[in-house]
Amino acid sequence: MKDPDLNDELSRFEDELRAWGARPLRTPASAARQRVTARLSLARQPIPWLRLAASAALVIVLVIVTWVGAPGPARESAAVARGSFPPPVDPNVVVWVLDSRTTVYFVLGPNGSAKGGVS
Amino acid sequence: MSVDDATGDLVRAARGGDREAFGLLAERSWHRLVRLARSVVGELEAEDAVQDGLVAAWGRLGSLADPDRFDAWVSRIVFRRCLRANRRQRGWVSLDAVPEAAIGCDPAASLSAWQLLSRLAPRQRAVLHLTVVEGMTDAEIAPLLAITPASVRAHRRRARESIARLLQGGKS
Repeated sequence: MKDPDLNDELSRFEDELRAWGARPLRTPASAARQRVTARLSLARQPIPWLRLAASAALVIVLVIVTWVGAPGPARESAAVARGSFPPPVDPNVVVWVLDSRTTVYFVLGPNGSAKGGVS
Repeated sequence: MSVDDATGDLVRAARGGDREAFGLLAERSWHRLVRLARSVVGELEAEDAVQDGLVAAWGRLGSLADPDRFDAWVSRIVFRRCLRANRRQRGWVSLDAVPEAAIGCDPAASLSAWQLLSRLAPRQRAVLHLTVVEGMTDAEIAPLLAITPASVRAHRRRARESIARLLQGGKS
């Protein structure tokens, strides 16, 4: 841009731009503050993402630890709830659950003999 | 919270859900952000773009790593809103749509400045505005527009070349 006339025009444009940019705003800052603040109540709250992620991770860890570290009866009662144990039987019957498909019954006779079977 | 509070303190309070603190931040940034937005999207959409940007910033305060850099961070958000508004309005907003009341005290001069500015790419407008109107350095402009200082220089050089071409075209 060696043309001096063009340089003059460019500086004139920049002066105009400065005047155009510095003209007053339609909404004063104090009114804008009120409008923005009013809109904030409708907007989403700022979420502390790190804290949120840490809380979620903690909950997951607690659930896993509770489940894995739970004592036998807790898991047993859960198994009962799922229906993997046979229903209660007579007090003279001993039941061994070998696995989910094999249950062994021992029936205690009055003279001490025992009859057994596999189901 | 008062107007004298440091920006970082206000940001920390706003992060904790203090709307008034964020309102103060909005009030402080309003003039600077609207002036930038006017240069990118024009008078009609500028204030809406800034308001939308500020509300979006409220929802993303948790992602602001350094509370003391709020000004540059919120400028980037508002600038992105302006780019979006610019894409929306491209091709259908006529300069005739600019209301006379919005033009200022010298309509002829103002309109010609905006007429020339509106022919530039949005980033070139922003760089020219921040350089000429706000008097900022390349190092200050770069983080506001999320570009490098070298890109700032390149945008300004291209903007001035385009303006020069337009001024020469206007003479012939």
